[in-house]
Amino acid sequence: MKKIYNEDESKFSEMLNDLKGLPKIKAPDNFEYNLMTRIQNKNFGALEKERPQFNWIKFLAPSAVVVSAIILFFIFLPSSQENNNQLLQQTKLQDKQSEVNNPSSAKNELNNQPSVTSNDKLQSNSSSLLGSNNQASRPRTLSPLNDSRSIKLDDYISGANKNQSNTNRGNIVNNGEEPSQYDGFIVSEKPDKKTLERYRAVVDSIKKAQQKADSLKKVQK
Amino acid sequence: MNKLLTELSDEDLIKEYQDNNTPEAYDILVKRYKDPLMNFVYRFVGDRDICTDVVQDTMIKFYLNKDSYRSFAKFSTWIYTIAGNLAKNELKRRRRRIIFSINNNDDERSPQIEDKMFLAPDKAADGEMRNEIIQKALLKVKPVYREVVILRDIQDLSYEEISEITGLAIGTVKSRINRGRAQLQKLLKHIYRE
Repeated sequence: MKKIYNEDESKFSEMLNDLKGLPKIKAPDNFEYNLMTRIQNKNFGALEKERPQFNWIKFLAPSAVVVSAIILFFIFLPSSQENNNQLLQQTKLQDKQSEVNNPSSAKNELNNQPSVTSNDKLQSNSSSLLGSNNQASRPRTLSPLNDSRSIKLDDYISGANKNQSNTNRGNIVNNGEEPSQYDGFIVSEKPDKKTLERYRAVVDSIKKAQQKADSLKKVQK
Repeated sequence: MNKLLTELSDEDLIKEYQDNNTPEAYDILVKRYKDPLMNFVYRFVGDRDICTDVVQDTMIKFYLNKDSYRSFAKFSTWIYTIAGNLAKNELKRRRRRIIFSINNNDDERSPQIEDKMFLAPDKAADGEMRNEIIQKALLKVKPVYREVVILRDIQDLSYEEISEITGLAIGTVKSRINRGRAQLQKLLKHIYRE
C-alpha cells in the first residue's frame, strides 16, 4: 500500500514541487485589529447561536411518557405473568386441594416425612398402558402433576424413606392413583375395549416377531 | 508573563485560555495560525476577501467555542477543522448564489472562473503565471479531493493529521489525495507533459 502511494508521489513529483513552491498567502495587516474590533463589539454575525433555554415542557413531556410506561409495566406485568403461568397456578390449586382432602399428608410434610404414604397401599398394576380392563374402564384423569405421585428427592438421598415400598418408588414414572381436578395439557380420552384389544394384538404380534427373530438367530448360531 | 506564554505549546495555550480566560493566550494562537489558515482557505476558495472573512470567522468561532476543544486532540487539527467547515459552507453558499444569478441574468452572464488553461507553453513557463494556472486548476478539482491535496501537498500535514481534520480513515485520505493529484495532473497536462 505504502509502496503504491510512494510510486504515485514520484509520478506527480514535478507537480508536487510546484504545489509546495506556491507562494504563501498571508493575512492582511489589519487582520488582528479587525478581529479584536469584532470581538469587542460582539459583532459575531451568524456565528453566535443562541443556546436553547431550558424548557420545562420539553423536559416534562418525554419524562412523563417514560414514567407512565414504567407504571403500566409494573401494573400489568405481574398479573399477566400469573395468568400466563398456568402450570404454577395449577400446582398451587393442587397443593391446596391435597391439603384439604388429605390433612394427614400435610401433617406429614410438616413433620418432614415422605409424602407418598397414602400411596403405600396402592398396587403398581396400573403402570402399563395395556393394563387390566377394570383399570381402563375406571373413570379418571391422568395427570403428570399429581401430588400423590411426588417423591421427595431429599428423603431418597438421606435414606429417610427406607420403609417405602418399591411400588411407590415406581410411582414417579407410572400414573398416579388419585383422580385430579387438573385437566390441562393431556387430552383425557376414555379408552374403549376394542382399541385396547387392538393395541394388545399389535404388541403381541411384535413380541412374537421378536421371539421368532431370536429363535432364528439361535438356529443360525 | 507574555514571554512565558509565547514559549508554550498550542495545547498549553488553549488550556490556559480555557482555564483562566487569558486574552494573551488567545492572541498568541491567532498570531500563530492566521497565516497558515489564510493559505489553506485561499487555496481552497480562491478569493482573498472571502478567505479573510472565513479565517476571521474561524477565529471568532474559536473565541466563542473555546470549551468545545478537548485536550486529547491537537489544537492545529481542531482549528483546521473549523476553518475547513466554514470554507466548505462558503463554497456552497457561493455555488447557490452563482446558480441563482445564472438563472436570473442569462444575457449578462460572465464566466465565474477565467479559463487560462490554454495558454501557450512558453507563457505558462513563467513562474507567476504558472502559479496562477495551478491555483485555477486546483479550484477545478472536486472539493473533497481539493481539501486533502491542499492539506497534504501545500500545508504539509501528515496523513494522520488530515485524517483527524477531515474525520476520514487514513486509507480514504490516501486514496482521495491520489485521486485529487491525478485530477490536478490531468488539468495541468499542458504544463506537465508526460
